[in-house]
Amino acid sequence: MAIFPVFQTVSSALTTNRVWMDAIADNLANVNTIRPYDQPAFQARFVQAQELPSNPGDPIGVGGGVTTASIQYGDATGIQRYEPGNPMANKDGYVRSPNIDMGQNMTDLIIAQRAYQLNLAVIDRASESYKQAIQINGK
Amino acid sequence: MAVSPIGAMMSAATTAIPGAPVPGTQGVGAGTAATQGAGGGSGDFGNVVVNALQGMQDTQNNANSLAVQAATGDLTDVHNYTIAATEASLQTELTVAVRDRAVQAFNQIMAMQI
Repeated sequence: MAIFPVFQTVSSALTTNRVWMDAIADNLANVNTIRPYDQPAFQARFVQAQELPSNPGDPIGVGGGVTTASIQYGDATGIQRYEPGNPMANKDGYVRSPNIDMGQNMTDLIIAQRAYQLNLAVIDRASESYKQAIQINGK
Repeated sequence: MAVSPIGAMMSAATTAIPGAPVPGTQGVGAGTAATQGAGGGSGDFGNVVVNALQGMQDTQNNANSLAVQAATGDLTDVHNYTIAATEASLQTELTVAVRDRAVQAFNQIMAMQI
C-alpha cells in the first residue's frame, strides 16, 4: 500500500462523502416522519468529519485523508404542528414533525456529490501520472 | 486477476536466490540501480523482485476479495473495489516495467563484444 499512498487518501475521502450522502438521504427520507407530541421528534443527522494522521513512513507530514469522527444529532424539539385529525396528536391536537431544512440538505447533497466527483478526478489524474512515470524511457 | 502465475514466478525467484549467485545476476542488478534503491538497498536484485512480487500479490489478493464481496453483495463502497483494482493494475504495470528493464540490461550485457 505504500507505493501509491494517494489511493488510500482518496478512498477515505470517497467513503466519508458517501457517508455524508447516506446521512442526507436519511434526513430527506424522514422529512415527513411525524411523532407523538410527548416523544422527541426525528433528529436530523450531521456527519462530523475528521482528518486522518499521516501514512506510516511519510517523512514530510502530508495527511492521510479524512474519516467520519461521529454522527451528530440535530434538534429533538422539532416543529410542533397542529394536526387534530392525526391519531398521534395530543389532546390539544399537536404532533411533532422533524426540524429538517430541506433546502440546506439539498445544498449539502450537491456539495457532497461534487466532493465525491472531485476525489474521483484526483484518482484519475494520479493514476495517469503514475502510468506516465512507469513508462519513462520505456520501449 | 490471474494470481497463480505470480505465485509461480515468486517461487521460481525464491528458489533462484539461495546459494551461489547465478552468473549474470549481479550484472543485471548493477544495470538497474534504480530498482536497488527502491528496495531500500537490501541487497541483491532477486530479493528486491521477490519483495515487489509479494507486495503485488497482496494488492491483487485485496482486489480479489473485494471483487468477491462485490459479487456477493457485501461491498459497502463501490469505489473500494475499483480503487483496489486500479492499484493492483498499476502495481502490476510497475513490476512488469522493472522486469523489462532488468531483462533489457541483461540482454545488453550478453550482447557485449568480447
